[in-house]
Amino acid sequence: MRRVGWALILVLMVGGIALVPGAWAAMQPVSGGTLIYGAGADPDSLDPANTDSNTGEAFGHMMNNYLVRFDAKVKIHPDLATEWTQSKDGLTWTFKLRKDVKFHDGTPFNAEAVKYNFDRFLGPEKPLKSGLHDVIIKSVDVVDEYTVRFNLKAPFAFFLNNLAHSATGIVSPAAHKKWGKDLTLHPVGTGPFKFVEWVRGDHVTLVRNDDYYEGKPRLEKIIVKTVREDSARVLGLEAGDYDLIVRIPPEEVPRLMREGKVRIDAEQSNRALRIAFNVTKKPFDDVRVRQALNYAVDKESIVKNIYQGLAAVIPDVVGPLNVGYAPVKGYPYDPAKAKKLLAEAGFPNGFKTTLWTPQGRYLKDYELAQAVQQQLAAVGVDAKLETFEWGAYMATLRKPKDEAKQEMYLIGWAPSTGEARWGIYPIMSCDQWRPTGSNDSFYCNKKLDELIAKSVASTTMKARDDYLRQAQEVLVQDPAGIYLLATKETVGMSLKLHDIINSPLELVYADKDTWKEP
Amino acid sequence: MLRYVLRRIFMLIPVLFGVTLVSFSLLHLVPGDPAEILGGQEATAADIARIRAEYGLDKPLVVQYLRFVGNALRGDMGISIASRHPVRELLFQRLAFTLQLSLASILVASTIGLLAGIISSTRQYSVFDTASMLGALFGISMPIFWLGLLLILVFAVKLHWLPSGGTGSLRYLILPAIALGSASAAVIARMARASMLEVARQDYIRTARATGYRERVVIFRHGLKNAMIPVLTVFGLEFGYMLGGAVLTETVFSLPGIGRLLVEGIFMRDYPVVQGAMMVVATTFVLVNLLTDVAYAFFDPRIRYE
Repeated sequence: MRRVGWALILVLMVGGIALVPGAWAAMQPVSGGTLIYGAGADPDSLDPANTDSNTGEAFGHMMNNYLVRFDAKVKIHPDLATEWTQSKDGLTWTFKLRKDVKFHDGTPFNAEAVKYNFDRFLGPEKPLKSGLHDVIIKSVDVVDEYTVRFNLKAPFAFFLNNLAHSATGIVSPAAHKKWGKDLTLHPVGTGPFKFVEWVRGDHVTLVRNDDYYEGKPRLEKIIVKTVREDSARVLGLEAGDYDLIVRIPPEEVPRLMREGKVRIDAEQSNRALRIAFNVTKKPFDDVRVRQALNYAVDKESIVKNIYQGLAAVIPDVVGPLNVGYAPVKGYPYDPAKAKKLLAEAGFPNGFKTTLWTPQGRYLKDYELAQAVQQQLAAVGVDAKLETFEWGAYMATLRKPKDEAKQEMYLIGWAPSTGEARWGIYPIMSCDQWRPTGSNDSFYCNKKLDELIAKSVASTTMKARDDYLRQAQEVLVQDPAGIYLLATKETVGMSLKLHDIINSPLELVYADKDTWKEP
Repeated sequence: MLRYVLRRIFMLIPVLFGVTLVSFSLLHLVPGDPAEILGGQEATAADIARIRAEYGLDKPLVVQYLRFVGNALRGDMGISIASRHPVRELLFQRLAFTLQLSLASILVASTIGLLAGIISSTRQYSVFDTASMLGALFGISMPIFWLGLLLILVFAVKLHWLPSGGTGSLRYLILPAIALGSASAAVIARMARASMLEVARQDYIRTARATGYRERVVIFRHGLKNAMIPVLTVFGLEFGYMLGGAVLTETVFSLPGIGRLLVEGIFMRDYPVVQGAMMVVATTFVLVNLLTDVAYAFFDPRIRYE
């Protein structure tokens, strides 16, 4: 008996020792492998200065670096710049740059390269995102080989956010000189992955940059495939054809999480959806009507039933992960109060109006509009639902005030700079009315504009955030729309994929640390 | 015959003019333009005006159209406004793929369709006949979208036998060819059956049988060739449809074909891409029609072309 006992212990020990390295190996990151990423659309451009889409920006992060960069919680970190100082008057910012970085074409990264990139934004070429920089920066100087100085037109408290924006990827001046606008077909950056080919409508291939300054990336290759159909993307993930997909329909998420064969990650994005009012059209010029409609909508129920919890109710138009977000008090669901306010405004039996919505542009946009329509009907507001194809929608919403036909319309806005001012200013400011800016509500509140201007000119973060909080309170008291929610970006991954970046700026991409079990 | 074929090919020129003129006009009548879509939500009126000028969209429509025609005649189809890829390259890539897919699908469709239709006609009202005609009804009625997703669910997700989409080796064409071919198979089957049944009632078939030929020879040598003419019409139409716009199949299976190029180009108001794709689709349709007409002459020696 004793001998059997000892034999058993010996077997267990040997077995245990044999198992441990196996278990250990399964947890250690490995080098190598190809990531197959199922994206919902082709990139619009592989040139960071000219991209406006989530897919394009994701590529920007995989092929490029920035002077400073956002982490997964939208906090600023050094990247190509190691340290920086700001002058007392806020007009000059000086950055010290890394010395060990090369572009994918072998040319060196230095202050000249940075100046070239920003001159490009300020100059006649006017890439798509030049508006981010040309209103803020007056000029850029090379101080020495690895020091660069920005001279601003006025103090700007969010300068670092603008530098971390996806569009501000630093590209190779040599490549831009050679290709000009066609840089999108031959992108060259400093990032962890290098461009190989782009077969339009099918896939983009990237390979590892062995000389990446932060260290050799783990993944050897990334293939981003264009899979437009939502269900096909999910099925492909389940079949193992893709390791990573974005934008999962919310109704699939409970089943996928329950089955556990793939990993689902839901990150709060800062894309805020609202039903905007055209405040120049009656009865939306009456603040009581606008407040009433906010009370009439049960936002929690919409989040629970339409989004399966994959969204967050927000008090105004600023999502929770933005710099300057303040948890001000929003509108609770109170249909009785809604009816009372409508009666006070002279509409005891409600009124007729139209509700415009796109379809397929935002997550569950059409269903959201339908739900709001029904809830408004319950307080007597008869809203006729009209759907628009996205191109036609944008064309229609760009019309100036006298030609604008919109009354209520579903629209989203996501400040790509990750800060509240950009979440508010372009769509609410008095001097951003269409067609000059993006304010298609023709909303104008002088107090709001004052507070925003003060926040921009602030020299301390506390002052900046305080003005922004007050601005958000103004937005709630004097609503520009029915404030609804900020969606969550759902990402599906193979269980073998680890350390993907999923940022609230709706960016899903691989960085040098992403790895895949063999 | 050769002169006839050449004359038909010459007719392609006015057809292409007409097609590009109509698609150009339609695309400009629709609200929205590529500058607004490229500019995005954040673009100001100044940004959009600048993009328009860059792509020559601010010129009068006639000038734009004539410039397009002039360039096209020299082989320069322009660049995609949305992505800057040269349009000619895009058209070649997509057409090459669509040809592959369509050939695979028409192969699937004709094999299943002809077999089912001919066998059904020889065993009219049998179990096989009823079953295959029900199958045909199913094939025509099922939305291709649903069938595609169902095939992916069964063969890719549950059985892991085939890929769920994308391109690669021949394996990647199997499920799309089945999905795209099924509706055509149904139509071909029904037409083949009806046509064979009609031919079977002809006097010359009765004569052939009376001459003592085996049934199989009677059907296949004497009957089939004559029955094929209406089937050929259907075949040509179905093939033409596949070449022109299998956009639903291409979307479900993520395939880079010409259908998706055209539809996605329309959504982005990508004028050069839409013009180019329309020209390709029109050309393939005209050529397929021509091939069908020529094929008639082979099946029916009485048909002559001057």
